[in-house]
Amino acid sequence: MKRYARLFWLLCRASLMRQMAYRPHFFLMVCGKVIRMVLLLFFFQAVFLRIDRLGRWTFDQVLLLFATFHLVDYLISITFQRNLSYRLPELIQSGNLDSRLGLPVDPLFMASLENIDLMDFISFIPCLGLLVYALHRLGFAFTWLQALLYCLLIVNAVVFLFAVVLIIATISFWTTRSAGLARVFDDLTQVGRYPLDIFEGFWKFFFIYVLPLALISQLPSQALLGSLSPGFLLYAVTCSSLLAGIAVRFWKTGLNNYSSTSS
Amino acid sequence: MPSPSTPSPAPVAVSARSLSKTYWFHEKEPGLSGAFRALVRGRKKFVPAVQGIDFQLHAGERVGFIGPNGAGKTTTLKMLSGILCPTAGTIDVLGHVPHRREKEFLKKIAFVAGQRNRLFWDLPAEEYFHFCRVVYEIPDERYAAAKKRLVEMADIGDILTVPQRKLSAGQRKRCELVAALLHDPRVIFLDEPTNALDVLNARKLREFIRAKARDGLHGIILTSHNMAEIGEVCDRLVIIHGGRIVFNGDLASLYERFLPRKQIRVLFDGPWTRDALAQLGSLLRTDAHEAVLEVEAPAAARAAALICSRFSIRDITITEMPLERIIESIYAQPHR
Repeated sequence: MKRYARLFWLLCRASLMRQMAYRPHFFLMVCGKVIRMVLLLFFFQAVFLRIDRLGRWTFDQVLLLFATFHLVDYLISITFQRNLSYRLPELIQSGNLDSRLGLPVDPLFMASLENIDLMDFISFIPCLGLLVYALHRLGFAFTWLQALLYCLLIVNAVVFLFAVVLIIATISFWTTRSAGLARVFDDLTQVGRYPLDIFEGFWKFFFIYVLPLALISQLPSQALLGSLSPGFLLYAVTCSSLLAGIAVRFWKTGLNNYSSTSS
Repeated sequence: MPSPSTPSPAPVAVSARSLSKTYWFHEKEPGLSGAFRALVRGRKKFVPAVQGIDFQLHAGERVGFIGPNGAGKTTTLKMLSGILCPTAGTIDVLGHVPHRREKEFLKKIAFVAGQRNRLFWDLPAEEYFHFCRVVYEIPDERYAAAKKRLVEMADIGDILTVPQRKLSAGQRKRCELVAALLHDPRVIFLDEPTNALDVLNARKLREFIRAKARDGLHGIILTSHNMAEIGEVCDRLVIIHGGRIVFNGDLASLYERFLPRKQIRVLFDGPWTRDALAQLGSLLRTDAHEAVLEVEAPAAARAAALICSRFSIRDITITEMPLERIIESIYAQPHR
C-alpha cells in the first residue's frame, strides 16, 4: 500500500512536471471549465425565475445537486477517466501497453492513474466553492450522519463511474477502439446533474435501475437533505460494488485477450 | 548424481512446452465497400502465430531468436515474459507462470522492446530511473551502485537530464536498457534491441549486452534479424519459422546440420587439369589460374591436402558458406 502511495505521488509529480511545459493550455482549460459552469448556473437561475421548483427540488437543492455532480465529475476526470477512456485504447492500439505490463505493478493501477493532473485541482476549487454556497443557502441544515452518508455516497458514485468507465475501456481489448462509446457515456452522465424528477415513467425507471445515473449526484444530495430511504442507500452501495466486481473481472479477461502489436 | 569433478549444469531458468498462440482479427476486403461489408458482416480470421514450441534457457545462457517477419519470435518472447497469454502450452520462468504476472516474477525479469517505451516520455531518464527504483523496491545503496555501473557501461552519463523525447534512438534505447536492468533481473528479454540503430550505437549496445551477460548469472533471450549480432552476442541460436522452431543449437551444429559442404578456392602456380580436380569435388568456377570447388565438409581438409601435393599452388583457402545463405534457405522452405 505504501509503495502504491509513493507511486501515485511519483505519477502526480511527473504529470505536474509535464503540465508545466504547457502552461497556456492549462490556463485556457481552467477558464473554459469555469465559464461552462457559470453559464450553466445562469441557465438554472433563468429557469427558476419562471418556476419555483424542478419536480420536488427547490433552486437551492438543485444547486447542491449541481455542485455534487461537478464534484464527482472533477474527481473522476482528475484521476481515472481520461486515462481509461482515451489513453488506454491508445496504449492497446499502439502496443505501448507492453511496457506497462512488464512492471511489477497492478496493470489496472497504471492504466487508471498513469496521468494524474494535479493542476486540475485548481479548477476543483470553484466547484467546492459552489458546494459551500449551496449548503450556506440551505442553512447548513444537516446532521453529521447525513454528512457522513453524503461522503460515503460520493465515494460510491466514484466507484460506480469507475466500474462503468472500466467496462467501456476494457472493450477496446477486443475492438481496439472504444473512445466513441466512452464519449456517448460522457454525454449520458451529464443527465446526472438534473434531478431525475424531470423524467417520467420509463426514463425515470431507466436512470434509476438500468443505467443508474441517480447514483452520481441525486442519491448523495438526497442523503445530505435527509430524504434518502435506507433501501435506496443499500441499493446504491450494492449496485456499485457489484458493478465494480464485474468490471474488474471483465478487465482481467480483457488483459488475457491482449494481443499487443508486432514489432 | 554427478561426479564431484563434473560441473553441475546451470539450472533451467525458462522452460516452455507445446507453447502456442493464435491471434484473430476481422478480415477486411480492400476499398470502401469492403470496409462497409466488414462493418456489417466481419469474418473472423484465425492466425496461428506460434505452434507448439518447446524451449529451454539455462541460467547464464544467451540465446538468440532469429526468423523472418511474422515468424513468431516477438510473440514467443511476449508470452515468456508474461505480456501475452498463450493459447495453449505451459511456461515456467524461474518457478513462475508468466501470464499470471505475479509481482515476484516481474521483479526477476526485464522486457525491453525495440521501440516501445513511452513511459515518462517527456521527462529525463533520471526521473524514469527513480520511478523504477520505487516500482522494483530497490534499496537505496543497491540502486546507487547499480545505476552508477550501468550508466557507465551504457555511456549515458551526459544525457541523464535530457527529456527522453529529445534523445536519439540509440541514446533512448541505452537509457531503456539501463532502466530495465536497475533491479538486476535474472532473465532479460530483448526484442530487436539494435533495430533502427546506426552501426556505432548498435555496437555499443551489443557490447553492453555482452558485458552484462559476462557474470554468468543472467539468462538473456534476444530477437534479431541480424545474424552477425546473434553470432556475436549469443551462445545458442533458435531459428523460428512459421511459428515453429526449425533449429535450436549453437552455430557449429547449425553448419553441421544445414551446411555439410565447404568451398575450396585454389590459385595455381603451375599447370593443372579440370579432370583431376573434378575427382575431389564439384567444380563451381574455373579460369586459367583459379578454381573453386565444393566438397563435403568432413572431406575438405583431405581434399585440400591432396590438391597441395598434386599441383603447384600459390594459395588455397577453405571457407564455410555465408551463414545468411543457410538462414535464407531455411526461410525459403515451406513451413506449413
